[in-house]
Amino acid sequence: MTAAFVLQGVSKHYPQFSLSDFSLTLPEGQIMGLVGVNGAGKSTLLRLLTGLAAPSSGDIEVLGHRLPEAQVAAKRKIGFAAEDMRLYRGQTLAWHIELVRRIYPEWDSAYAASLLRRFDLRADQSVGGFSHGQRVKALLLLCLARRPQLLLLDEPTTGLDPVARAEVLESLAEVLRDEHRSVLFSSHNTHDVEQLSDSISFMHQGRLLASADKERFLDEWRRVLCVGDVPDALDAWPELVQRRAAGSQIELKFRRWQDDLPERLAQVGLSVQRIDPMTLEDIFVTTVRAGGRQ
Amino acid sequence: MTRELNWPVIRLLMIKDWQLFQKQLAAHLLGGIVALAFLGMAKPWAFYIGSLLLIILLVAVACFAVSTSLLVERKEQTLAFVMSLPVSPLDFTVAKLAGNLLTFLVPFLVMALFTAIIIFSTPLPDGLVVLAALVFGHVLVAYCISLAVAMQVESEGWNLFAMIGSMVLINPFLMLIGQMDSVQSVLRGNAVIWPAPALAILGAQALIGLACLAFALWSNGRKPAFY
Amino acid sequence: MYQQIVDQITARVMAGDWAPGQSLPSIRELAATSGVSVITVKRAYEDLERAGVISTRHGKGSVVSERPDHARGLLDHHLDLQLTEAAATAARLGLDRERLHQRLDAVLDTNPDAPLRAASASAVDAGHPPATTPHSRKGTDR
Repeated sequence: MTAAFVLQGVSKHYPQFSLSDFSLTLPEGQIMGLVGVNGAGKSTLLRLLTGLAAPSSGDIEVLGHRLPEAQVAAKRKIGFAAEDMRLYRGQTLAWHIELVRRIYPEWDSAYAASLLRRFDLRADQSVGGFSHGQRVKALLLLCLARRPQLLLLDEPTTGLDPVARAEVLESLAEVLRDEHRSVLFSSHNTHDVEQLSDSISFMHQGRLLASADKERFLDEWRRVLCVGDVPDALDAWPELVQRRAAGSQIELKFRRWQDDLPERLAQVGLSVQRIDPMTLEDIFVTTVRAGGRQ
Repeated sequence: MTRELNWPVIRLLMIKDWQLFQKQLAAHLLGGIVALAFLGMAKPWAFYIGSLLLIILLVAVACFAVSTSLLVERKEQTLAFVMSLPVSPLDFTVAKLAGNLLTFLVPFLVMALFTAIIIFSTPLPDGLVVLAALVFGHVLVAYCISLAVAMQVESEGWNLFAMIGSMVLINPFLMLIGQMDSVQSVLRGNAVIWPAPALAILGAQALIGLACLAFALWSNGRKPAFY
Repeated sequence: MYQQIVDQITARVMAGDWAPGQSLPSIRELAATSGVSVITVKRAYEDLERAGVISTRHGKGSVVSERPDHARGLLDHHLDLQLTEAAATAARLGLDRERLHQRLDAVLDTNPDAPLRAASASAVDAGHPPATTPHSRKGTDR
């Protein structure tokens, strides 16, 4: 299996913020959604993956290139767009397209033209007059039309209206056709990433809390409602992540769900009323609250 | 770092900086023509206005060149876009320095050339060329200092301080020249003689300017990554 | 998302849109056109294959199974699961067999085409997460 990127024990220390002991791999051809609240370190991670930032320790390899040493070679194959990235206000979109086209030999003019139409952007308009949504779509166009091997998108759907959001997600879905192209995109909410992502990573306060196949996340987590007296021993169960009283009922959230858990609950005197799968958002919030306890 | 520079992209980034500066450049050159017209009238009052206007323009070109390509890029967050392109910090530094020198030196040299032509072709004493060279030299040094500071320091306040400070120093500098009898006598004559103190100053200006650029190149280019 | 893909394919096979032996779009193709992750489509294909609705020939992609009644069987199974779920809820409400029958009749009387509409709506409604029941999910566990 070739990997789009491999991070091994990566740390990056800033005076106000630290990313610590981060290990994560994205297999080629996969889409990974990176979820974290604002300030979780998503942007720092993406900067490390583009070679813009050098890690304080650890190893980073992107598309087979060691970073930041081989950042030029890696960046030729990476499409990177960040929320805080701006284009030149005084220039037209066509001017930007021309600049990027001349830098990347893989630039696909026909694809660029079709994206222009789909995103409803005018190439002769100066970028200064673009709305937030238009700016995001313009940046995405500049990335997509060079057909990069790895797309790194920092909060591409944040602040978009529903129509623009759908357009952005649809254009990302197209990348799925090619099994050699990979995507990592971040968001502060799970809704934006869960539809398209093969795998999901949760990060919080500079640490990776969990990373797995999306389906595995959904399979492994369950919310159980039961009644009865909670035995003290329950809190020691490794599967139990959260316990909360909800009226006369007790709400339990389990990770690494096993089919024998209802039986075990019955054995300790709890009568199970309901077992529900959890939404990704619920899983994320529960994981963050539990502090990534494994 | 022994890696080869990515010249095609450096060239494109230089062209980009040149294009971004284009409109301002036209305005500066237009102002330059007006200033030179005053100088060319060879009347004391016109000479005073013309030289003042010329100095203001030179300072403006220097400040705008630094600000458009470095300060505005940082402030408007277009820097992130440039850094995402296939460039290393060294490529980026070379492109920035070269692009900036290009945008500054073109109007600067054009104005220097026309100033010399006007001094020689009008009744103005030809010796004034020495003064013109010293003034242009000072602006060049001030520009190099501002450029080096802008590449080194993110704070807008310090950048403004470096720009204004170095440019304003032209006043005491002119007073200093006024005190130098050997230079003063040359300025009124029609023969172009380069007195030793003037040559020493020009040499010092060249050294300081080059040192600033070399420091900016070394200090920014040796970084393994941007952040 | 997963359930939508399964429902969508089952519905098409049952309606005869996709004939037995006909090739299905590749996993990546279907993922790209429906805007759903590759892993989700892959899983749906695997489960449909296990249920006998489709079959995968190595190197040739997936085709609709020659025995399309499997699609019916899958839906049958799905209905059983939902009824089991309904029975469990009824038990929690303390309804007896009689009352549950009455409730089902009432649903059918007031809204005779309700089940049909719900099925077709879930196939096109791509904006919402699927309303998976714990049992339907467990039924697909490996």
